[in-house]
Amino acid sequence: MLARRRLLIAAAGLGAAAPALAAEAPTASARAGDAALPALVPTPLGGGAYLLQGSGGEPDADNLGRIGNAGFIVGDSGVLVIDVGTSARHGEAILASIASVTNKPVRLALITHVRQEFVFGAAAFRRRGIPIRMHRRAAQLMAARCEGCLKTLRKLLGEPEMEGTAMFEPDAVFDDGFVVSGIDRRVRVLHFGHSSGPGDIAVFDEPSGVLFGGGLMDVDRIPDVQDGQLPAWREALRALGREPVRRVVGGHGPAATAVAIAATDRYLDRLETRVRALLAADTPLSDVADRSDLPEYASFDAYDTIHRRNASVLFVRLEYDVLFGQPASGVPR
Amino acid sequence: MSLDLFHAGRRRWMLRSASLAGASLLLPRPAAAAIGGLPSNVAHDASSPEWEALRARLFGTRPIAAGSNSRLQLVVPLRAAFGASVPVKVISRIAQTRALQVKRLTLLVDKNPSPVAATIAFGLDAGQADLETRIRVDEYSHVRAIAELSNGELHMDSRYAKVSGGCSAPSNRQPVEGIGRTVLRLVQDDAGPAASSPPGSLMAADVTVAHPNDTGFELNQRTLLFIPPYFVRSLKLSYSGRPVFDAELDFSISENPSFRFHFLPEQRGELRAEVLDSKDLRYVGTLAVG
Repeated sequence: MLARRRLLIAAAGLGAAAPALAAEAPTASARAGDAALPALVPTPLGGGAYLLQGSGGEPDADNLGRIGNAGFIVGDSGVLVIDVGTSARHGEAILASIASVTNKPVRLALITHVRQEFVFGAAAFRRRGIPIRMHRRAAQLMAARCEGCLKTLRKLLGEPEMEGTAMFEPDAVFDDGFVVSGIDRRVRVLHFGHSSGPGDIAVFDEPSGVLFGGGLMDVDRIPDVQDGQLPAWREALRALGREPVRRVVGGHGPAATAVAIAATDRYLDRLETRVRALLAADTPLSDVADRSDLPEYASFDAYDTIHRRNASVLFVRLEYDVLFGQPASGVPR
Repeated sequence: MSLDLFHAGRRRWMLRSASLAGASLLLPRPAAAAIGGLPSNVAHDASSPEWEALRARLFGTRPIAAGSNSRLQLVVPLRAAFGASVPVKVISRIAQTRALQVKRLTLLVDKNPSPVAATIAFGLDAGQADLETRIRVDEYSHVRAIAELSNGELHMDSRYAKVSGGCSAPSNRQPVEGIGRTVLRLVQDDAGPAASSPPGSLMAADVTVAHPNDTGFELNQRTLLFIPPYFVRSLKLSYSGRPVFDAELDFSISENPSFRFHFLPEQRGELRAEVLDSKDLRYVGTLAVG
């Protein structure tokens, strides 16, 4: 809510972005903030990279589900967008926000990982012919599960907010990391196999030293382990830590220094240590969430929700390994 | 499971339950609903159209003790649960004696496509008819446990469980290796370490079967074809040949079905689990005790 208030205050001084969106403003919904919220104010990270910070928290009617970050990089000949928002309207707001900074064309949008707050804004890009690329495994995961998410989102946010939002297929998929072409700027897409999710990527903008971590890291928020393979994830974080990173944008939370990379790894380590201790004590699963407290993370966003679930998810995985003699893996089952 | 995996079934199921819609008119409306109609703040002891139909089918018009009159307690995490594996703990406040015992326990999830998750018959050797297992909960739903006592009484407790909303369907799991491997172990209980329990006292153990327990509603994320249903149908747990519990199960039980239970070993003997799955394959796990 704080973040949103900041956005609203900032948006008041930025009327230029609003008219483009006013045409789409819903009449059916009387939710406070509907008219004002779509204006997003980019946070400059230096060197042509920008963050569009989400509200954090759990998706609800107040934050319009816009809980995740998006970002963009302005190259010599065009713009690259990283993650596309929660809904077609959110995607429009992202594009309007970019237009408030540069008149260069948006050449490409990348989706870093498959969570509703990063994918469903695609409709706004697609109606302008802006291609969307994602990893093949991410596209598969999206095809298999996102219809359910979309249904839930419609219930949660209401039809007006979700108008024009639909399932889609990316315009192109890839299997490995690559260097982005088309914006005359050296931006690398990094893929580490199944890490925080099966098709998760990070995007590193070399000129600015800004790393968009996607699902691999969150800032001041508990990362969600549900899709992750912990060993590979932690290895990926160590690899990212060796890049010349100046600023970090996580999937959620404010921009941070490179310390955010190690901070995510530290949480995963603390989580696993706690869960192993619960396993060793024969803790029943019914007690795991309540006994998973990690006070040093109590002030983090989603501590009361994602952290509790993380503990249960990891407990079930590690328990399987212990019972059936698999190498302890923390791999989704 | 994925939250998506029930959707196909749910649609079918909702068609069937459409004819029951009349029943919902008699029920109090939820006190509050989120925008778009996701129910929140639903009382744990509230009814649901699904429950009214199930109740009629399973228990006819027999009275069911609930609330403070119930001798059964159900423990379910109330928020942010992992929908694929929601722990459900049933505590009966009744020692299993010849005079009075829990004969049968039924576990229900109102909104699941197949709402009867388990029917469990307890023997005297259970000592006390307590159980913890893990179930799939597809959407916000009541979870219910109903015990039938040897004197014919029915006792119920229920919890309204909010599995985490939104995009929480997990990515496909690793295939289960060695399907049917059945592991029994003694566990520490609230009463203290199992190993130090004196003979004749209540002990705690758990049994886990390596099994995908596929629901038939989950999409293979590579082929986008539904994974066929394949699940553990029954699990019979005995101690030295005497029944502790016999469970009839369904795919609402989570992957790698797991049960934590009590039993009362009078002397050294053997815990034995006999498992039958939906392909009629049988598996056995044993554990020497004492």
